[in-house]
Amino acid sequence: MSTQHLPARALELIRIFQEKLILELKVFFFTMQEFFWFSTRAFVAIPKAKRYWRDVLDQAKICGADSLPIVMVSAISIGALLAIEVGNLLEDFGAKTMLGRSTSISVIRELGPLLMGLMLSARFGSRNGAELGAMQISEQIDALRAFGTDPIAKLVTPRLVAALIMFLPLTALSDFAGLHSAAYMAEHYHRLDPGIFWNSVYPRLAPRDFVVGFLKAPVFAIIITLVSCFNGFSAKGGTAGVGRSTIKGIVVSSGLVLIANFFVSKLVLENM
Amino acid sequence: MIELRKVSLKYGDREILKNISLTIKDNAIKAILGPSGVGKSTILKLMLGLIKPNSGQIIVDGTDITSMTETSLYAIRRKMGMVFQGNALFDSMTISENLGFFLRENMKLPEKEVNRRVTEQIQFAGLEGYEEQLPESLSGGMRRRVAIGRAMIFKPHMILFDEPTAGLDPVSSKKILSLISSLRNDNNLGAVIVTHIIDDVFNVADSVAVLYKGEIIFDDSTEKLHKATHPFIRSILSDKILEL
Ligand SMILES: Nc1ncnc2c1ncn2[C@@H]1O[C@H](COP(=O)(O)OP(=O)(O)OP(=O)(O)O)[C@@H](O)[C@H]1O
Ligand SMILES: [Mg+2]
Repeated sequence: MSTQHLPARALELIRIFQEKLILELKVFFFTMQEFFWFSTRAFVAIPKAKRYWRDVLDQAKICGADSLPIVMVSAISIGALLAIEVGNLLEDFGAKTMLGRSTSISVIRELGPLLMGLMLSARFGSRNGAELGAMQISEQIDALRAFGTDPIAKLVTPRLVAALIMFLPLTALSDFAGLHSAAYMAEHYHRLDPGIFWNSVYPRLAPRDFVVGFLKAPVFAIIITLVSCFNGFSAKGGTAGVGRSTIKGIVVSSGLVLIANFFVSKLVLENM
Repeated sequence: MIELRKVSLKYGDREILKNISLTIKDNAIKAILGPSGVGKSTILKLMLGLIKPNSGQIIVDGTDITSMTETSLYAIRRKMGMVFQGNALFDSMTISENLGFFLRENMKLPEKEVNRRVTEQIQFAGLEGYEEQLPESLSGGMRRRVAIGRAMIFKPHMILFDEPTAGLDPVSSKKILSLISSLRNDNNLGAVIVTHIIDDVFNVADSVAVLYKGEIIFDDSTEKLHKATHPFIRSILSDKILEL
């Protein structure tokens, strides 16, 4: 059937759809370009970060110390859960002595960093989005610009530096908590001797397991900070707009964390 | 000196400013008068390069800032002070920190000098006792005075005031107006005052530009405003306050 036979209304709808699609694509690529510049400027300002060391310290406290409880809770619960479930599974194969090995790899490589990334994009990301969004709509960001201060160097770079610094120890602490909660469950739920558990953890852990896990920390730090700050800076349309941009920041950064998690694992494990 | 040459600006399809030309001289106070939504705040933002026009040029002290990059604009902006319509105080900083922000940030003055100037400004604005408060715990008039102090404290040679008296009681607005006219006597500053209150114009301005439907319909000394024939100006002169 050629398009001539289609009713005019349908053609009209297709045309409208096409136009919308093109517009959306344009907006998407424009936003990508803006984001690219925003990120470049945030990185370029890193050498100047010591000028804003107070802001770096404040942000380090917010994304480090203040995030510690939620990161620990998620690490402990994921460690415990893994130990129970994987232990049940391994028992069927009579391989319960391998429990330490399987849980430690999951915790260190995958679930530990991933869960931490998601928690931080909810906690640190939402805070950035809401705070910077509110500053944007109340013209405080314009006020910085009007005073000749680069708002990206003053507001975004300190957050980026703080996240880059703090995400590594957070990862280490989360690994530690996850492993110990797994060990606890192995001992008290599966009645596995702690010696056996830890024996299957340490000798088997390869450097690449740590590389995978710890490489994710800076990658997530960059994704979460830049995406949430960018969305805060783009907020418009009053308080509802701040809400929208905050949500967008969390959704996009969580999505990107999930995707980056996969690719970091794949790249490192294929190449090491 | 700030010059707008044939500046046009659109938001989407809506044409806000149509081919506007305007000159702001140093050491004089210029008022920009116009009804709400006509584009007065927009003009101030254009002068600082915070937004870009669709066409035309903006020249600040002989430099064309129209197509300058954000980073090179910082040096130009530091010569000017801006009082935003909504104050735009940094709400996570105390009043003293707000006032001292520019001095620490851009002039890198020694802490002692910063404190001296901040104290002086606090007294000048009558804000003693509020130094360590956050902006949220101040009244509207007090916040206004902080915003004005924040722009004045680094002694720029041009200050842009966006509706300095809007929403204030007669006493506060009188205080602020006398503060603005004292600027000229004390510091030999230039200033732009955006307003929709015609009494403000007669109180402080040397000259006035009237913005109406995207165009400048009057631009001359304040005394001559009385003789203007444009129906819009006639109507505001008889009503004194602009309602569309
Ligand atoms: N970011 C923006 N996006 C779209 N339109 C805008 C934007 N900012 C301002 N406008 C529109 O531009 C016009 C001029 O706005 P502006 O804030 O300059 O007015 P104004 O003269 O300062 O008004 P008021 O006296 O109420 O402050 C208004 O009609 C407004 O709706
Ligand atoms: Mg305005």
